Amino acid sequence: MKELIAETYRYRQLIWALALKELKVRYKRSVLGFMWALLNPALMMLVLSVVFSTIMRFAIPHYAIFLLSVLLPWTFFSQSLSYAVESIVGNGELIKKVSVPKLVFPVAAVVSNIINLLLSFIPLALLVLGMRHPFYKTWLFLPVPMLALIIFTLGMTFFFAAANVYYRDVAHIVQVVLSAWFYLTPIIYALDFIPPNRQWIFKLNPIIYVINGFRLSVYYGMLPRWQSIAASFVCAFIALVIGFGIFRKYQDEFVFYV
Amino acid sequence: MSSMSEPRSASSSVIISLENVTQRFRVIHERPDTLRELFSKFLRKGISYHDLDAVSDVSLEVPKGQMLALIGRNGSGKSTLLKIIAGVFRPTSGRVHVEGSIAPLIELGAGFHYELTGRENILLNGLLMGYSKEEMRKREQSIIDFAEIADFIDAPIKQYSSGMHTRLAFAVATEVDPEILILDEILAVGDTAFQEKCFARIQDFRRAGKTILFVSHAMALVTRFCDRAILLDKGSVIADGDPAEVLSCYKSLTMPELAAAH
Repeated sequence: MKELIAETYRYRQLIWALALKELKVRYKRSVLGFMWALLNPALMMLVLSVVFSTIMRFAIPHYAIFLLSVLLPWTFFSQSLSYAVESIVGNGELIKKVSVPKLVFPVAAVVSNIINLLLSFIPLALLVLGMRHPFYKTWLFLPVPMLALIIFTLGMTFFFAAANVYYRDVAHIVQVVLSAWFYLTPIIYALDFIPPNRQWIFKLNPIIYVINGFRLSVYYGMLPRWQSIAASFVCAFIALVIGFGIFRKYQDEFVFYV
Repeated sequence: MSSMSEPRSASSSVIISLENVTQRFRVIHERPDTLRELFSKFLRKGISYHDLDAVSDVSLEVPKGQMLALIGRNGSGKSTLLKIIAGVFRPTSGRVHVEGSIAPLIELGAGFHYELTGRENILLNGLLMGYSKEEMRKREQSIIDFAEIADFIDAPIKQYSSGMHTRLAFAVATEVDPEILILDEILAVGDTAFQEKCFARIQDFRRAGKTILFVSHAMALVTRFCDRAILLDKGSVIADGDPAEVLSCYKSLTMPELAAAH
């Protein structure tokens, strides 16, 4: 774990440059360029608010905010994972020629998505103002669930990026897992919709605690209970310790398989 | 990596030392790349493979300031050996000890991204080699000058000609001033004028007491520049010493019937 922090710090400029490169390449050749990072969530919000205010009416006021408060962090999670799972294999040519710590690639993939995540909260804030939803002070609490989310995401990306080196099926499996996971997580619905005697199953889902903090802060204007915060960090650190542990164990071998 | 950060050995004039280094590759016949292939292989009883020692029990000491040529036929283990020294491969067995900074770059221009501009690539390449942003900013102008691409520096390098690409790569690798420089078949490209410029720079490096590892099939260059040559065959060092002598050894290896006629 010390190695992770030390190497990340030592190579911070490289990680930052790789993350920016990823964003630049992603938005290259599009007329609006970097604006898409803002426009994407904004347009998604427009679609969702039309769908849920006219077609599918839920008994949840300001459903768009209810949804987006957790959909944005979920999008960060799923996009990071989708990008990072390919990060070692995709940089294979580089790894074969340059001696550089392998961890910079998944970390850079996550960092580029952190930038996207932060940007996507700007249109959300505008939506909150536009819909005259109260702008709660608990927004200030958001860095806490964000930190837990980033740690959790890093752990998962290390694991899947390493696994994908050995079996390229992993990248495809991740997509399937993510879409199943999306519906099993209270994102488009609330945990209250689930009958109380079945809720325990949902509470086994490690990301639920992380996600919970976002919805409470943005939509309800409440802080999560400390047990929930603790659970989110425990899950995040377990994911990181296992994910990075496996990554570290095999990282010297990656070069032979990419 | 750990082997590189060991305390300085007593003989501080030796900058690279390899002790009984072996790099074994498992050559899997039709390596299963997906789970389905793994299962089907598994059902058909096992995966067939053979082990290949790309580098086999090599011990080597390179004194500081030497320009060493690695020669040998294709597949003799030259590039594998360079990758071990550069830290790209961790050898299967043996010890590697490298002192001082080494541009951990095997191929010039590795890490260039085609969508990024020349300027952006200079920075990215430098960061990959372990230099800081500030250091690269300081050297940016002299890199651009040396590569003679001032007009194109802010264009994405996919628009570069292959000559421009090589010039930029050579400029970045040498301008960062590493203590050990690895040149793997680089001088084959570029026009004569630029080649001469590269030779001049290599001479500068030698005068500055830098160590250079040089892989080339251009024998004239080996005898012109190098202090020493080693000949690799099937992963082992079979000749080591004066470039001219090692080269004649190489000739008898590649053209045995010709040597017999002599």
